[in-house]
Amino acid sequence: MQKGEMFLGWSTKEDIRKRGGSGGLVTSVLAAALDKKLVDSVVVLKKINDFEAVPVITSDVNEVLNSAGSLHSVPSNFAKLIANKNLKVALPAKGCDVRGIIEQGKRNTIKLDNTFIIGLNCGGSMHPTVTREMLEVMYKIRPEDVHGEEIEKGKLIFETKDGKEHAITIDELEEKGYGRRESCRYCTIKIPNNADLACGNWGVTGELAGKATFVEVNSEKGAELLQNAVDAGYVQIQKPDEKGIAARARIKGAMEGLSRKWKEKVFIPMDNRLEYFRKELENCIDCGACKTVCPTCSCGDVSKCTEFHYRGDAYKMSMYHLVRFLHLADSCIGCGQCTDVCPVDIPLTRLYRRFANPVQEELKYEPGMDLRRPPYFEVKLND
Amino acid sequence: MIGNVYSTICPGCNFGCGLYIRENGELEVDFRKSSPANAGKLCRFGMSLPRFYTPARSIVDGRETTLDEAAKEAAKRISSTKGSVAFLSLGNTTCEEHLAFQKLAESFGSLYTGVELGALPGDVHQTLSVGIPYSEIEAAKHIVLFIDPYEQYPLIVRRLLLAKKKGAKITSIWWKDMPLADENLRPADTSKLQLTGDSLIIADFHPLSDTEQVKSLLALAKNAGAKITFLKPFVNSTGAYILSMDAKQKSLAQLIEDINKGTIKTLFCLESDILELMPEAIAKLTNLIVQTGQESAITKKAHIVIAHEPLYKKRGTLINNEGRAQAPGGAGTGGLEALGTIAGTKFDFDSLHESVKKMIGITAVDEFTVPAYERPTYAAPRATAKPPDAKILLASVYNPFMWSGLADDNDFVELSLNMVRALKLLKGGTVKINYNGSLLEKKFKVAPVQDNVLLTGKRIGIEKGAITPVEVSR
Ligand SMILES: Cc1cc2nc3c(=O)[nH]c(=O)nc-3n(C[C@H](O)[C@H](O)[C@H](O)COP(=O)(O)OP(=O)(O)OC[C@H]3O[C@@H](n4cnc5c(N)ncnc54)[C@H](O)[C@@H]3O)c2cc1C
Ligand code: SF4
Repeated sequence: MQKGEMFLGWSTKEDIRKRGGSGGLVTSVLAAALDKKLVDSVVVLKKINDFEAVPVITSDVNEVLNSAGSLHSVPSNFAKLIANKNLKVALPAKGCDVRGIIEQGKRNTIKLDNTFIIGLNCGGSMHPTVTREMLEVMYKIRPEDVHGEEIEKGKLIFETKDGKEHAITIDELEEKGYGRRESCRYCTIKIPNNADLACGNWGVTGELAGKATFVEVNSEKGAELLQNAVDAGYVQIQKPDEKGIAARARIKGAMEGLSRKWKEKVFIPMDNRLEYFRKELENCIDCGACKTVCPTCSCGDVSKCTEFHYRGDAYKMSMYHLVRFLHLADSCIGCGQCTDVCPVDIPLTRLYRRFANPVQEELKYEPGMDLRRPPYFEVKLND
Repeated sequence: MIGNVYSTICPGCNFGCGLYIRENGELEVDFRKSSPANAGKLCRFGMSLPRFYTPARSIVDGRETTLDEAAKEAAKRISSTKGSVAFLSLGNTTCEEHLAFQKLAESFGSLYTGVELGALPGDVHQTLSVGIPYSEIEAAKHIVLFIDPYEQYPLIVRRLLLAKKKGAKITSIWWKDMPLADENLRPADTSKLQLTGDSLIIADFHPLSDTEQVKSLLALAKNAGAKITFLKPFVNSTGAYILSMDAKQKSLAQLIEDINKGTIKTLFCLESDILELMPEAIAKLTNLIVQTGQESAITKKAHIVIAHEPLYKKRGTLINNEGRAQAPGGAGTGGLEALGTIAGTKFDFDSLHESVKKMIGITAVDEFTVPAYERPTYAAPRATAKPPDAKILLASVYNPFMWSGLADDNDFVELSLNMVRALKLLKGGTVKINYNGSLLEKKFKVAPVQDNVLLTGKRIGIEKGAITPVEVSR
């Protein structure tokens, strides 16, 4: 098995194949890595219900096997979870999780050699609280009655416990302010080729649709991970057909195009930027949650953004945010976590991206996509 | 509890913010985005919980001991001073523990919940105890704030902004302008307020609330046909007030008076650190018994500390400001067991839980449903609130850090540019504050504050209640 190869794969355990998002391959690869001691621990989501799951670090193979399934309303943040813990770990990761992990790796808080990243294709995740409201307002169903959910042909479909399906187009939902988180709409990392493996259901056609995962091997570590699962009897794989490969590439292209459109829609050029930023930040309560959650920030309690900021200052705009805007201009990955956790609903990711978009374009640097050092690391005092 | 992760509720105030606490050698706060009250978002205090949850140790007269020994010693001292024992529970623990504590208080002394419900007419007790659902705040057309939402109840800010997005007008009545308000009035201008049946007043109710002010707000709402809701500072204030509604209970002011008179010699505080609120009275006690899950200023002064699991490890029920029932996250009943040892009985969790559900009026703890509470009408109380007449006032802006005695990064007072000019204060310098001969020097922050007011979000040691007349100079 080699870097660059593609497969269709599924779990050899029937119940995991059934419970898995599309064939249970990811769960089985994670379990095999733990079982065969490729890693000491695995990150999984422990599902509470369709809208909540708790990220846990476990060394229990059964716990890993129990975690099968995709949760679209759980915008997890795994980079910060594993940082500074010196783990030999395998984990599933959405595109933004992968980028965060790689950026932490560059900052020496995660050992990338010891981290096996199983990337998940990602068309976007939804905020659980927004999803609950959406179910009541748009679908007229009680969140408690939801049994499962899937995305098909541009529609978000919820199945209720009575076996009925309820479908609305994602376009319509997003027009009304529901659907995917804003940052997911303009995210262009749809297939995480920056992870060791990239897994998803795109490209799985015919009889295998819904019962297998399309895997792309992106690194030697990825090959080791998948081969280990095959050798241990956890997964079965076969070569995909050309039709599937083409379909996957086509969907990827279409999704990336849609993301670019969203990017244009969200980041309309504006006059009077200063007033815009001042107004958006006027409700900030200095909680620091945006820094705590930021998957690329590795500063501890003593950091420039907090050291230059004093709550007793009466500046029109907080030094904390100003420093962060600059500090993250090369490194912001646009994951949306800061917006998610802001207690006063400041659209922080949008503000950070207003700085990051032009800087990253100018520097031709996409953080978290490879091991290139962040451009700001290269700025020396005598430059 | 899931692995080493607890799904819990922030103990900082009664908003009911959900979060995860991960025990990983150190404590880590993680965001529980599905939490109905806060969508996983936390304020400065919520983010400071690893610092708040410093484990307490059981102590008798300075000697470390076991929980059981400490509880037995507490039992001895309580029986030997029977009749002069006060039991204080502000609302920082589960309904089940509060109920057991209330039973203990009934047999050995008197119950203090801190608030002055007795001084308010009975027909307003329910309105003061249970607030309205946050969704109703979001749907209001006109919101009138008698709080500083940013400092005191930060998670209300986004609800106000959502209401504003839907077209609500926001009027703030405070000593300082609020960025989110469409109209900023000062407390002395309350009479200029234009209220209608579409207005919603948001105020707060706590042990230091001025009873006359509370009455006048209730009357204001009643006379205009407006809605009124009170926010509260303790994680289970609402639960505690509902459970104790029919119990004989006393306020913090009465407690201070009773200690000063010498009728109270032993004080038993259940998860309530009132050291900063009444340091002189505390110093007069023969026995200070503290039962708690975490160390704080008061555990250092206590003769007996009964230390058990922190809130996030407790089994039980919490009722948030809206009346929503939530679980604190754990399975621990160490607190109940200690109370049983002191009472000489065994408190059974299940039967207490059944009583709690009955008293609250719910059949199950379902955090996604706000139970329908009775919202009885009340007669407009007669109030005699009189504005403070001093020239310069120091106003305390009570916030979660102040109530729990946790240090915050706010060692400054806020004052207006006009005051800076009048006193010729220096940029980056300090202001001198004088009260009855006590002189303090404080850093200051310039803010759109009423010209004769200093605001503090931290106790600076010269306060006389929520508002203190002071003199200021350069
Ligand atoms: C939010 C999200 C969006 C996705 N969008 C697409 C898409 O548009 N196109 C596509 O081809 N594939 C998408 N996928 C991937 C797809 O749904 C399957 O996860 C993938 O095919 C692997 O299936 P499986 O049966 O092998 O995984 P499983 O064996 O079911 O294992 C899934 C693993 O992912 C973890 N997981 C579940 N939810 C999350 C989450 N929210 N964040 C991080 N980890 C999680 C679980 O803990 C488990 O370890 C998405 C996945 C997620 C989580
Ligand atoms: S202190 Fe109150 S507002 Fe702040 S996080 Fe805790 S419960 Fe929420």
